[in-house]
Amino acid sequence: MKRRSFIKKASIATAGTFFAPYILPSGRLFAAAGDRVVNHVVLVLFAGGVRHQESVEQAYLTYQGSNAGNIMQNMFTGAAPSSNLLYNPWNPIQGSSLASQGTFFKELQYAQGPTGHYNGHTAAITGNYTDVGTNLAINPDFPTVFEYYRRHNDPAKSAINTWWMSEGLGPYPALNYSKHGMYGPMYGANYFRPYSTFGNIGLDYLNNGLTLQPDDVGRLNTMKNFFDSNFDKSASDLPGIINNSTDRETIHAFMKDVLNRTQNGTVEFPLPNGVSTGEMTGDLINIQYTWEVLKNFHPELTVINTFNLDTCHSDFTGYLKNMHKADYGVGWLWNKIQSDPVLQNDTIMICMPDHGRNDLPNNVYDANGLRAFDHTSDDNSRRVFALIVGPSAKVNQNLVLGSAGNPVGQTIDIVPTIAHILGFYDQIASGMLPGQVLTQAFI
Amino acid sequence: MKKFFLLGIISSTIFSSCKKEVLKQNVYDNVYYEVTPVTLYTSNAEKNKQKSSLQYISILFSDLFNQSIPGSDLNNIGEAILSIGDKGLANQMILERFLTLPGISIPTQTQMNADLNSFITSAYQRFYLRNPTEYEKIYLKNLIQNDTNITPEIVYAAFALSNEYMFY
Repeated sequence: MKRRSFIKKASIATAGTFFAPYILPSGRLFAAAGDRVVNHVVLVLFAGGVRHQESVEQAYLTYQGSNAGNIMQNMFTGAAPSSNLLYNPWNPIQGSSLASQGTFFKELQYAQGPTGHYNGHTAAITGNYTDVGTNLAINPDFPTVFEYYRRHNDPAKSAINTWWMSEGLGPYPALNYSKHGMYGPMYGANYFRPYSTFGNIGLDYLNNGLTLQPDDVGRLNTMKNFFDSNFDKSASDLPGIINNSTDRETIHAFMKDVLNRTQNGTVEFPLPNGVSTGEMTGDLINIQYTWEVLKNFHPELTVINTFNLDTCHSDFTGYLKNMHKADYGVGWLWNKIQSDPVLQNDTIMICMPDHGRNDLPNNVYDANGLRAFDHTSDDNSRRVFALIVGPSAKVNQNLVLGSAGNPVGQTIDIVPTIAHILGFYDQIASGMLPGQVLTQAFI
Repeated sequence: MKKFFLLGIISSTIFSSCKKEVLKQNVYDNVYYEVTPVTLYTSNAEKNKQKSSLQYISILFSDLFNQSIPGSDLNNIGEAILSIGDKGLANQMILERFLTLPGISIPTQTQMNADLNSFITSAYQRFYLRNPTEYEKIYLKNLIQNDTNITPEIVYAAFALSNEYMFY
């Protein structure tokens, strides 16, 4: 009898150990499921250095001694320039501007650090300013939003649920995870640079490979497992993230399909009807393939950038053209999201530049005799904006916050804001994110 | 005396011919695996450094095509790898592409099955730069013999994607 009693008590104690509340560093019991605002976030870094004057202020050629006008009619409300058109105007794809479909932080600050592209991207993606040199292809010191998401979301999500898509290479592939000791590649995002992955290089070196049938994959894996069992080291130190085998196969199949469709010319272009594909830019290519990722995987967190506006260092006309095209691309992407049964009404899109550009021009004139602008950390290059667009039941519509000299929010606020939207902000240790949630945007 | 002299000439011709044959065999062995001769590892425990992505691709190309990869191809493949976050997946897709390119040095299935011992030893030397252990040889031989759908491409792909091939 005593023995039976002992076993019973021991069983209860053991069960109690298993089911005891897990005490989080924050002092909470259990990992809170977290109230989400929506289940999908797309952050568009409208990057390359965007002057407030030609974007938010709709100055067009005012600072070149000519007329004003809005060349970003998908994002902002305002009339297009009526004369001196240096770009081929594309009719906006949005019926009403994105600013009217959400909350418009008209004057946001990039408060610290050099106004370099790597710094601007890093601040937006990690929620921390950085002084690191601009051309270092290194992973950031602070965790990225992808790592926060994958580590603190409950239940945990694999990397197929979060993507970083960049227009260019350089240091940008390194932004999908940090070198922070408590985070790192095991919490990183998947990454593509579509211009390479699905462009000529991808078609030449990744497409038309040996196709193995599922049975053959099984044979290959049996053999590989045997080889690996006879070797005591693992290639887990390969730089980059490592997908689990199921996700890797899924992404593999996706890549083969998209490469095939690229070769056949059947991937949809973010262009108005009748416009030649010769009008595609690097920005539009990135948006084009981001949509392929979004519609195939329905990731919960996606970050992409545009970058072609940076031609403004020497070509102001090209800057205006690229700004107009990238604006169309963002409008196109939002339309696509609203056409998808999973993403529609369950996605918030945030658009924000990496940083601004200088108030005063440099000494370069473009072919049209227009002055060019750099970004060398003057006050003007710290002026940016943010659009937070989403379902009317979740996001305040047609709300404008901030004005010149009265900024509301900083670029480092975007990471806490995304963490709030996806419901894991409270799980992040205090002190990691100096920014604030842009709560004004949400109902 | 004349007969004895003639016999001497014939004998020396025969012996020198045999020597030439042996010499040919040695030269053939020296250049069998690589463009330049390489030393085989005595065991896989000697491998403790992981290849970089470009080293992996460069060596893979040499192992599959018996020639160095052209610089422009290496640059382009480097860009392809950089453009994909999961480097293992990138390596896999590049390997799959290599396996369909003309000029690849890979035995046919008939050649493989005709002399499995030689195929297995040759594959270990090609990819792992070592000889297989008896256990490895027997296991792999049984695996291939018991499944007629295993092709040389599958065997080569398994070698190239294995952990040991990532190290030197």
